[in-house]
Formats: sequence, structure tokens, C-alpha cells
Amino acid sequence: MRGLRRSSCATVITVVLALAGSGCNQDIPTFGDLSPNTPASGDAGAANWRMIVLSGPADFPVPAPAPATSDAYRAELATIKAAQGAITDAQRASIEYWSGGGVLRWNEIMRELVAKADLPPAPRNGTYPAPDPENPFADPNFPFGNPPYAARAYSYVSLAQYEALKVAWFYKYQYNRPSPSKVDSGVQALMPTTDLPAYPSEDAVLSGVSAELLKILFPTSTEEITRRAAEQREAALLSGKAAASDIAAGLALGKAIAPVFAARAAADGFRTAGGSPAATQALSNATAAKGEVPWHSLETPPRPPMLPAFGQVRAWMMTPTDIVRERPGPPPSTSSAQMQQELAEVKNAVDNISRAQLAIVYKWADGVSTPTPPGHWNAIASEYVAGAHFSEVRAARAFALLNMAMHDAAVGCWDVKFTYFNPRPSQLDPNIRTAIGLPNFPAYTSGHSTFSAAAAAVLSYLFPSGASAFAAMKEEAAISRLYGAIHYRSDIEVGKDHGQRIGGYTVSFARQDGAN
Amino acid sequence: MRPKALLPAVLLALTAARVSAQTIEDSVMMRKNSLCTAVLYSHDRWESYWEGPLKRVNGNIGKITTQSVAGMVDYGVTDRLNVIASLPYVWTEASQGVLHGVSGWQDLTVAAKFNLLETDFTRSGSLRTIVAVSAGTPIGDYTPDYYPLSLGSASNRLSGRLTLSFRAKRGWYLDGTSAYTWRDNVTLDRASYYTNDQLFFSDQVAMPDVFDYTVRAGYRRPGLDIPISFSQQITRGGGDIRRQDAPFVSNRMNYQKVDALVTYDLPMMKNLSVRAAGSYVVRGRNVGQATTVTAGLLYTFHFGS
Repeated sequence: MRGLRRSSCATVITVVLALAGSGCNQDIPTFGDLSPNTPASGDAGAANWRMIVLSGPADFPVPAPAPATSDAYRAELATIKAAQGAITDAQRASIEYWSGGGVLRWNEIMRELVAKADLPPAPRNGTYPAPDPENPFADPNFPFGNPPYAARAYSYVSLAQYEALKVAWFYKYQYNRPSPSKVDSGVQALMPTTDLPAYPSEDAVLSGVSAELLKILFPTSTEEITRRAAEQREAALLSGKAAASDIAAGLALGKAIAPVFAARAAADGFRTAGGSPAATQALSNATAAKGEVPWHSLETPPRPPMLPAFGQVRAWMMTPTDIVRERPGPPPSTSSAQMQQELAEVKNAVDNISRAQLAIVYKWADGVSTPTPPGHWNAIASEYVAGAHFSEVRAARAFALLNMAMHDAAVGCWDVKFTYFNPRPSQLDPNIRTAIGLPNFPAYTSGHSTFSAAAAAVLSYLFPSGASAFAAMKEEAAISRLYGAIHYRSDIEVGKDHGQRIGGYTVSFARQDGAN
Repeated sequence: MRPKALLPAVLLALTAARVSAQTIEDSVMMRKNSLCTAVLYSHDRWESYWEGPLKRVNGNIGKITTQSVAGMVDYGVTDRLNVIASLPYVWTEASQGVLHGVSGWQDLTVAAKFNLLETDFTRSGSLRTIVAVSAGTPIGDYTPDYYPLSLGSASNRLSGRLTLSFRAKRGWYLDGTSAYTWRDNVTLDRASYYTNDQLFFSDQVAMPDVFDYTVRAGYRRPGLDIPISFSQQITRGGGDIRRQDAPFVSNRMNYQKVDALVTYDLPMMKNLSVRAAGSYVVRGRNVGQATTVTAGLLYTFHFGS
């Protein structure tokens, strides 16, 4: 009897150990599912597409490459063959990864960098120390990758990639050097091949321009950024797509172009976008003087508002005059019947929220530790860009247009927020509890609504077949802020209209940029 | 089962079984055809919490209170096999800040508890070996993406547990119990999330396994059970809460806590017991320093002979 018990005990222990050993190790992807991209068109004429910041290829000379018959180039081909003979599984995985598209991969990497940086400073002794770019690893880390910071970062990197690739395309078709796998049949093509000339390497251009700017924008991630850039270049070489000299020329070009954008970023007004306590107090006083309830922070301890002078940061497609011209009129007065009605609508919405509505709120929350609302629209755009099988330069154009529009939306929206300094629903009615974290800046207008409308406008231009899907997503993103009790209906409706008009500036440019 | 000579002890155990017999972790078994039903109210509150290794308070949430009312049943299929089920209804709220509290049905847990071995290995006492398997699944359609106010982790899970109980003469006992829990992926309402130094491109979150153990010392006599215990939970993976970030469902949630519990049979009410318990988290990582009090009523039905 005792023996029997022992054996059943052993059985149970065996079952438990077997379960433990199986260790259901679910693999959750840490990058997008992109199949190797074969561009539908090489976009050979991209060198003639209109420049936005650069004046043209002449400012960035690329010397002629050595002839394909030279000893130097043959030595490079031999190096590739040798490396391909000793290729590792990790290198094959890296080639597979980067064959999904350099622009698309860097966009994913940027979203990760933003999510990592998207944490507000923690309070210390009742105040909030500001992130310090001179000491980025201190607490709080620099930067706080909040939505305006993210919108600006996405736009700089995307636009720099786009401009750099247009310059690269110019030299590619000037020198017309084929890729190693086309020159020498002994070199395997481990990525889809195209007729795109290899010199200078577009992958190296992307690695150089992206890494140089990202290291400035996200300095605590320098190691990661540098590693990714090196992997991209190695993948280009090992795949038989580019020789060492193609890569060297591309890297040099990317690194030469990045400083133009870094210089613009250093002087675009962001440095002073954090404002000052005195300026915030003056804004509060001026709002009160108009008979309106001024915004105040509902955090404990009270936190200074997010980037109160971001509305003065330089936009891409709009002048400061345009920003003021497009500024919507004031929100309903805080003492008006309409505001009372909108406040009641918010309270009713959140207190009676359905599970389906809550799912919409969380889907579009895009709060701390996320790629932010502009990042969410980059993720949406990525699916369409990947599906369209764009060349790298056309993919870069899509993200540049999208992100310029969203940066301009951030500038325009923050200009509105810190013109009217309108309180959040929970400030006017402390009984209103939110379904997500309450953003620490004025309500009017809704940033997510503005970003989404600008993004939907640009994406609908680029991908007309997706227009109704973009419109639906815009509406869902916008109304999620009312369900979640962080915005009134006016914030949302006016924000959408404002964002659409802001997006229109970029669309107008895109219609005439020579890429159609 | 047991030698007839131990009948007095069996009768004593039967009486004692009336109390405390509805948890998966304890060393008490319901006799065949007995059904213990319980309703337990629990009030759990914390103000300090550990953001990774850093202990802090947060003015934007103040004190987090979680209340629950749980219904539980424990049925003796045989003297050696018990089947247990429990389902709590949970309310959460924050004392400061603007976040909305939530409420709803949480997770159904069903367990089978098997008394594997009863060994009279010394003159001074006996050793009981119990194994239990339990499975949990969310009943309410709540999101796990709302920590620290989420109703729960919303994960399907499976636990294997081993309990050893040394019963000395005169009612003293010493238990050791340990479980390993596997948790299925949970689903968020969003398409990507950042945790543990990575952005994941999925709405699926892999949940780390959990190991826990409890050491319990107590005194039990007919109508009364008073154990105190020390427990530790170790989550085998998951990321820390970053500085000023919100907690996340797959965080490495570890803690050590102490518990005290009293179960007492009401002398005037046959088959009815009352229970009061308290616990306090002494150390933790990515959890709140919770103080929990529990109060409840247990009623046992005896079916058949």
C-alpha cells in the first residue's frame, strides 16, 4: 500500500517536472513581420525629386568609384565571397531582417527608441528636475520622449533619410556601378536583387544618416544605435548587395548630410520649448483675466506643463505666420452652458463606458513607454509602405511627408494649447475619473485628434485606396480621448479640423515634388 | 485508509477539517461527501511600492485599495481527494489622482487536492503529503493593461503544488508548501508594448512563470485553527517597472510576506466557522507593500453517511 502511494507520488512529480521542462517559451516578435522587399520600381529619377532642406547633390560630392576591373574592386569581391563562405546563422538572420527594407527597419527602431525614452521625470523634493542633454544618463534620462519630442525626432530622421537617399540616387545613376552579385557570379545574392546601382550603398547612407541623428536625439541609446547601423552595413556587404567601397562611400555621404539636420535641430527653437515658470504663470494670469478658468496641473506634486513653447518650434511646411493663421478660435468659455454640457458628456461617457469602448481607449492610449501617437501612425504607415513594395527612396519619402506633417501638427496643436490654456475635464469637475493617464498640459485642442487628422490626410494622399481606413482610424483615435475622459468633444472636433488643414500643407507640397 | 486503531484521531481530524478547509495551500482535507462553502471579504491596501528595487510613494495614485468578495467551495470527493473552486469579485480604486477605479468578476480557480501519503514516522507526530493541481482562467472580460488598478493579470494559468505537513501531538503543526505556476500569454488591446528593454510588435504578452512557497506554523484543536506563515513569491522573468513608469502585467513581481490567521467554530452554530486573517508584505519588487485583512464565514454541509 505504501509502495503504491510512493509510485503515485513519483508519477505526479514526473508530470510536474515534464511540464516544467517543456517551459512554454512563447516567442513574441521584437520587430515587424516584413518579407524581403523587391521594389516595384527603382525610381531612377528620384535625384530630381524636390529637395526640402538640402540644395542638391553638388554640396555633397561623392568621388568616382574604382572601375569594376580594378584590383582593388576584385579584392573587395574576394572578401565578400570569403565572408559568404563563413556566414553564420546570426548573419543570415540579420540579412533576412534588413532585407525587409532599411527605411522600414529604422522606423521600427525609432519607435523603440521613443518608447524607451517616453517617461516623464520623477518628482524629487516636490519639484521635477529637467532632463539634461549634457548628462543624459542622470535621473531623469534625456530625453523625455513625449509626443512633441517624438514628432520632431521622427520628422528629422525621416526627412534626413529622404534627402540623403535622393543625393545617393543622383550619384548611383551618375556612376552606374552594379552590385557585386551582378558583377561576379561567384558572389551570392542573399537579398532580392534589383537594377539599382550599388555605389554609394543606400544601406550605408541610411545607416550613417540615421545613426548620427539618432545618437543626438536619443543619446542614452548610442550603443544600440551604433550596433544596428553596423549590422545594416554588414548585411548589405554579406548579401552581395554592396562592396566595401560602395558602403564606405554611402556611410561617408550619410555622415556628411546628418550635420545639416543636426544644425537645423539645434536652432529650431526646441531648446527653449520647455518655457519657464514665470511664462506659465503669466499665461495663467492672462487666461484668468479673460474670465476663463486657467489650466493647472492635476499631478501631485504639480508638474510644469509639457513643452509650453513648443508652438514656437520651427515647422517644416508652415511658416510661423501659417501657424498663427491656421490657429482655431477659442474653446467654449469655461463658464458657458456648452462647456457644462460637454463636461457632462465626458462624465457620462467614462462612467458608462463599454468594454468595446475601453478597448478603443487602450488601443489609442499611446501614453508613457509607447512610441506616442505619432509613432502609432508610423506603425500604421509601415504596413502600407511595406505592402506597396516601394524603393528605399520612395519609402523614405512616405515617412518624411507623414512625419513632417505630424511635426507641424505638434507645433500647431501646442500653439493652440498654450494660447488658450484650457483646463482638462477632471479639473473643472473633480468627479471625472479618467480611463488612462491624464496628459499634463491644456486640453484644447486634442493632440491625438490633430496628429491623426494630419497623418490621415498625408497617408490618404500617398495610399488613396486606404483613405477610408485612415479616416476610420482617425475618428477612432480622436473619440477615444472622449471615452477616456481626457478631452471634451470640442477639443476633438476642432483638433481634427486643424490637423486636416495642417496635413494639407504637406499634401500640397507632395503634389508637386516630382515624385508622382 | 487508516488503521481502525486511529479512529479517535480520525474523528478529531474530521472535526478539525471543518475549519480552514477551502484553500489549495493548506494541509487540511475535507472528508468524503462534505462540502465546505465560504464567503470571504478581503481588503488590500498599499501606498508604498517598489519601482524595480526602488521603494517609493506616488502622489498621483496615493493609496491603492483592492477589495474582493470571493465565493469558495471545497468538496470531499473521497477522504483523500478534494475539489476546490473559487471566484472573486474585485473592486480597485486609487485615493489620489484622476484614474478611474474598476470592478468586476476576476478569475475562476479550480483545483484538485490529493492527500498522497500519511506517514506516522515518529511517535511524536505524523507527516502528511499533499499534491494539488489548479487551473485559473479569467471570467470577467477585463484588460490586464491597467496596472496598478487592473482587476488581475487576465492570464490562464496552471499550478502544481506540493504540501508537506508535520502534525505534532497536542495540536501543533508545521507546514511547508510550494507551487510552480505556468501562465499563458495575455492579450492587450494594443498592437505593441514596451517592457524589459524591448518594444514588442504584438498584442500578446508572454507571462513569466511564478514560483512560490510558504512556511506555516500553527496550532489546531477542534473548533480552532491559528497558523502564522511566511511566504515568498518569485517571478521567473519579466522586466522591472522603470523610473516613473506604470507597472506592467508581465513585470517581475516578487514579494515576501507574513500572514496570521484565525478560524474559529461558532459554539452555538453547528457547522459555521468564522475566519479573520491579516498579511503584510515585508519586501518586494514591482509590487505594492500591501496590508491585507480578510474576514469570512465558512459553512460545511455533510452529505451521506
